[in-house]
Amino acid sequence: MRFIGFIFFIFIAFYFQGCSAKNTLHPSEMFNQQEEPLSSDEIESNLEDEELFEEFADETDIEEIYDPFMRYNEVMTTFNDVVFENFFNPLAKGYKYVIHQEIRESVNNFFHNILFLPRFANNILQAKFKNATEETGRFVINSTIGVLGLFDVAKSQFNLEKHEEDFGQTLGFYGVGSGPHIVLPILGPSNLRDMLSLFPDALLSPINYDKSVCYTITDTWPEYIAVSAYNEINSLSLNLGEYEKLKKDAITLYPFLRDVYEQHRVKQIEE
Amino acid sequence: MLKRLLLICTVLLFTQNLAANDQTDLKNHFLKMIDEVTLIIGDNSLNKSIRNKKIIDVLTPTFDFELMAKLSLGKSWKKLNSQDKQQFVELYVKRMEKSYSSKIDVYSGEKVEIKKIEQAKRNRIALVTDLISNDENLEIVYKFHKPKEKIKGKDKWLIYDVEILGVSILKTDKAQFREYLKEHGISGLLTKLEQTL
Repeated sequence: MRFIGFIFFIFIAFYFQGCSAKNTLHPSEMFNQQEEPLSSDEIESNLEDEELFEEFADETDIEEIYDPFMRYNEVMTTFNDVVFENFFNPLAKGYKYVIHQEIRESVNNFFHNILFLPRFANNILQAKFKNATEETGRFVINSTIGVLGLFDVAKSQFNLEKHEEDFGQTLGFYGVGSGPHIVLPILGPSNLRDMLSLFPDALLSPINYDKSVCYTITDTWPEYIAVSAYNEINSLSLNLGEYEKLKKDAITLYPFLRDVYEQHRVKQIEE
Repeated sequence: MLKRLLLICTVLLFTQNLAANDQTDLKNHFLKMIDEVTLIIGDNSLNKSIRNKKIIDVLTPTFDFELMAKLSLGKSWKKLNSQDKQQFVELYVKRMEKSYSSKIDVYSGEKVEIKKIEQAKRNRIALVTDLISNDENLEIVYKFHKPKEKIKGKDKWLIYDVEILGVSILKTDKAQFREYLKEHGISGLLTKLEQTL
């Protein structure tokens, strides 16, 4: 009997919940409720606005980003934000305080230089032969005259520009769509295409967790993580405040970072 | 026949010239504006808040904030009552000013160079610029439009969107506002904008 009473209670509870749900407004209705009869002035200005929207439609049309992992992404964005603010950012600040700017720049140049191979390969894969040649020139010059890549002589003396390319851009170049947006732990915003592209790029990278490739400077997971983290902190120390500056323009952090990332990637692929 | 051809030719030449004039005018105006801003930034006698205010005063006539506010709300704009419209534009302008100020604060002597001028339509010009620093160049595109009637106190050509490394302020704002409106409605968005100021 008690059991039936319990079932009855649950039933009633759900029933009323359903009722209250019916009374809540759909967001689009919230506007309609506020609407008052329009004056002729307002109708006129609305017509003008209509024209404006049509005129600028090509500039403001935004695609709805396919985002099935939204809930997970939001949680991961918050996690990353907390880790960044409480761990990486203070660490990089302390590091900046201790290490001289020029040394940090050289460390940055060194890492950039040894990551030449994935850049070169992706330039070739996209048939950007001129850029690939320039990258090769940069690598040869900086590795020799630039003392193992510590100094970017290629840029300062020979005017050879960097040409950043990764496998995600290569896939995008051949028309592969980005797939759902995925926020990676620590690494931040990404999408399915770019996430899977990390692997082929890592194969060519000398900072690697795989023992079999002979030219890598790291062989085990701990070494790999330590070196990558050091690289990140060093480059962060050269760009302190950028993230905070960006964050200020956000109303809600996750959709903002997602859109910024996706728009930026589209631009990179176009180039 | 020949006469007509000649006429067409002159008209074509003339219109092309006009377009070219628009472009050079705009370019010169833009460079002058940048010079003015750089001068204010270089003036060490000013404190931060006065300096930022001065810079915003220089920039304001070139920005069509009202249009930006409208476009960033998109279709939802029309559903607002006039009071909310006004409040939204005010908050939007304040938000842009604040965002710009925080960007000036980290400025450290970079130079602005115009790379390309693109004119998609008669009344639209995009200035593709590079912000040149010693490490990397930052591509910033300023998009101008020419309103049918000149707005009082504003320039002939007005900026309606800025694209930094491919990220459009307008598009990003639009996506953000749309998402926020879905969940919180206009009053929620207005409160949120006020909070972030």
